[in-house]
Amino acid sequence: MYDWGLIWQHHGILVNGLLVAFKVSLFALVISVVGGLALAMMRMSRPPVSWIAVAYINIFRGVPALVSVIWVYFGVSLLLGVDFSVFEAGVIALSLLYSAFMAEIFRSALSAIPNGHREAGHALGMRPIRVFFSVILPQAVKIALPNIGSMFIGMLKDTSTFTVIGLLEVVRVTQNLVSQTFQPFVLYTAAAAIYVIAAFLIDLVFRLIEGAYASPPRGAVSRLLRSRRQRRIQSLMAELGS
Amino acid sequence: MSATDRTAPIVELRGIRKSFGELEVLRGIDLEIFAGEHVVIFGPSGSGKSTVLRSINLLEPPTSGSLKVAGVEYGPGVPGEKAGRRGKPLELRRTVGMVFQQFNLFPHLTALDNVALPLRSVRGVRRADAQVRSAEALRRVGLLQRAAHYPQQLSGGQQQRVAIARALALDPKVMLFDEPTSALDPELVGEVLKTMREVAETGMTMVVVTHELSFAREIGDLNVFMEDGVVVDSGPRGFFEETTSPRAREFIMAVR
Repeated sequence: MYDWGLIWQHHGILVNGLLVAFKVSLFALVISVVGGLALAMMRMSRPPVSWIAVAYINIFRGVPALVSVIWVYFGVSLLLGVDFSVFEAGVIALSLLYSAFMAEIFRSALSAIPNGHREAGHALGMRPIRVFFSVILPQAVKIALPNIGSMFIGMLKDTSTFTVIGLLEVVRVTQNLVSQTFQPFVLYTAAAAIYVIAAFLIDLVFRLIEGAYASPPRGAVSRLLRSRRQRRIQSLMAELGS
Repeated sequence: MSATDRTAPIVELRGIRKSFGELEVLRGIDLEIFAGEHVVIFGPSGSGKSTVLRSINLLEPPTSGSLKVAGVEYGPGVPGEKAGRRGKPLELRRTVGMVFQQFNLFPHLTALDNVALPLRSVRGVRRADAQVRSAEALRRVGLLQRAAHYPQQLSGGQQQRVAIARALALDPKVMLFDEPTSALDPELVGEVLKTMREVAETGMTMVVVTHELSFAREIGDLNVFMEDGVVVDSGPRGFFEETTSPRAREFIMAVR
């Protein structure tokens, strides 16, 4: 009755669907991290700049991905007279939404850094921009990382709605297979499993990154990454210590 | 204790006032500090002593009054006086070092990089040179062997000594210490005071806000007692025994 062999038979197409979803999410992740950071900084500055950020965040956090992608693909493209590819439309739609979420993640991470660190940087005579990029941001990114990972998983799942504009992601591919094989239970189970595995892998990667940047270093990866630097310090110590 | 140059003050505060909203925490502070001098500011909490210190590097810009450091004038100026050219806070902070009660080391950097980062970004020293100079600065505070450690791996006393090395590495003309031992466990106070004593012996101009009056007695060339945003009394060595201010005497007795 249930032909589970179908999954293996079509695994190439299914994995391809995942790769498309992954690629869209990855582009959108990069854009929304940058956009979210910019929005967070606007949100934390004086009015009226902060109002613009507040408005953006509150509007785009409330728009569902499905609506966003339809709006971009059929609406905005018409307005601007540009033909977005389905891929581009997907990236833009996700970036618009997730920039708003990232802004809130960065805002809470940035405000978690003790003000004393900022003061120390200023008291040392460092320029405010340098204090931000060398003192505040590296610490904030570490705090934000787990949440950024969750957002990435959310993005990947939201690509499933892009099936409406015909993006060949996991769900679209599955639908096509179902219409040929009439095995919805088997194939949608496979689709669900693909998302779960992908989420698991993303979580794993983000944990690795988190560990790699822990101070003091935690685990083999971060020790390896900093071994050159540590060796340099050791040799300086030996040189000056004698 | 050290030779002080008495020709012109290196730090001069005139009529410094500071308000936070309705609350006026500094109500006209005048203070002259000469190069090589070790100044101790003490008094009850809320007296404004930390605010005075923080106004010297403009972390707390005064509401009114004039601040002159190494011949350059800062701050809004004394009312009724013609405002002259004003220096930039960035330049000021590059001549004045500061040590905080909470150390404020950067937790994502090693002890060495805590010292090296400002050297590179403020003095434009190349990475390799900055590392050597930072290691030397750490050696001066006796922490070369901890260069590769992160702040979290150091005791409070060690963190504070790294913070002192970080400020000193930039060759400031004046060092400000804001209750540098108040956040420390009692057994760690000694090592930080020892480091500060060594800094004092190099002839560094120091302004220290502290509750450690025995240390104050030892290094204070000028001792300033503050209460309610004003200087109640001040004096040279022997101030702690000789002050005639009843409030200062009372405070000194209570702290001892």
